[in-house]
Amino acid sequence: MSGDLSEKLAAYLAEVLSAPDLTVSELARIPGGASRETYRFRARYSDGGTRRERALILRRDPPASLIETERTTEFRAYQAFHALGLPVPEPIALELEGGALERPFFVMEEITGCEVSNILAPDPYGARRQSIGEQFWRNLGRIARADPAAIGLGDLEGARDVRECWRHEVARWEKVIREDELEPQPIAHAAIRWLKRNPPPPAAKIAVVHGDYRTGNFLFDAGGDIRAILDWEMTHLGDPLEDIGWALDPLWSHGDPTHPAGGIAREDGLRLWEEESGMDIDRDALQWWEIFASLKGIAIWISAGREYAEGRNTEAVNAFSGWYCLAFHNKVLAQRLGGEGP
Amino acid sequence: MKPQIDQLLGLTAGQLMTEIAPLIPAGYAQSQATLGAVMLSLAAQQYDRAAEIRVAENRELRALFAELAPLVADADLKAKLEAAAPGEDASLRISALDDSNYALRRLLIALHAHVEELPGATARGAEKRIWSVLRAAAERRQLFLG
Repeated sequence: MSGDLSEKLAAYLAEVLSAPDLTVSELARIPGGASRETYRFRARYSDGGTRRERALILRRDPPASLIETERTTEFRAYQAFHALGLPVPEPIALELEGGALERPFFVMEEITGCEVSNILAPDPYGARRQSIGEQFWRNLGRIARADPAAIGLGDLEGARDVRECWRHEVARWEKVIREDELEPQPIAHAAIRWLKRNPPPPAAKIAVVHGDYRTGNFLFDAGGDIRAILDWEMTHLGDPLEDIGWALDPLWSHGDPTHPAGGIAREDGLRLWEEESGMDIDRDALQWWEIFASLKGIAIWISAGREYAEGRNTEAVNAFSGWYCLAFHNKVLAQRLGGEGP
Repeated sequence: MKPQIDQLLGLTAGQLMTEIAPLIPAGYAQSQATLGAVMLSLAAQQYDRAAEIRVAENRELRALFAELAPLVADADLKAKLEAAAPGEDASLRISALDDSNYALRRLLIALHAHVEELPGATARGAEKRIWSVLRAAAERRQLFLG
């Protein structure tokens, strides 16, 4: 299968890059979440008389996706933020029809010499904690600062009215829960009602929301630099506080919620975000988005568990999500809404 | 039955994690083996606790319904709560416990939403009582890594 895939990929890229002598080698599947199959490979070809070798990544749709994400959105987000100078891999090619490799896919630059943190590791960065922690928040601030229309993302899915961001997102994830829950979820439904009864103030602006900005979704190098922000598949327009709430979630805190994402202290991170984004954070509104983040997590884990239970996507991470992550977020929400919250 | 199922799952998880996964080249396959080991370890926890978790939760929910049914204004919901309250789990099969648990949780969702709409201190007290049951249930269903 790997050889067959290499040949098909080489044929596709030879045409896209106008390099008839292009060859693909060292194709190997790597971990990359359940929403796409991720492969690393090398492409070698002639380019204007020069021999080139490029380290590339193939992201191909699985038979079923964890969340029905729009790969066009992900590809366009890579394009926009790579052009803006954020640490984002250069996107190379997008194939929506999928004929060449049987399913839709895209190809992007591989950022080599990096590692990704395991969300279960107690101390993911060691001596690089301060540097990575600061960049984590500054990069998120830069994403929030970007003008969606100016970077070509003004037509993304999401809210257009600053008063409607919260409502749009609650509706989106309530729908996922109602459609995918295989067993009744009383905590999730209580959270949905609470979120609707206690809406946050209007967003400070309509921003590009990464949608899954957290530990485990960026690459960092030995020098403590974040080299690539990944997994833009849930990118949409909305309240920039949504990304902060998700980044702060205890599931991504490596066991210490006072240091979100395993990085710097919470308030230090929020201050850096404010500096970089040019916006102040309404702490009451942020609390709402933190509760929303745990509900969104529940929706994703329910969906993942269903994919596994019904045999559409039996990646072990889906089973893990349906068991561990769902139980985790149920506990977080029960504590927050039930009287023992932070 | 010896060895016990949770022991077998736990030891297999350990072997997969520490002896087999390291022999696989780093990448997707190694990651799958490691996560598979984690899942076996979680399954071992579930094996010993699964029936107790469900029995305890079902018992608490029935007690809650008996306690709060008198507050309920909706006649249909009240009748369902009163019908569910004296029930008990005749079978300890996980599938049977899950069936009754799902029915009770559906009723809890309706009760919780109803109580939230009721005015007064008694209703607020009922809400707190519901949340105490939900907190206990969430705590009981936690899974532990490592």
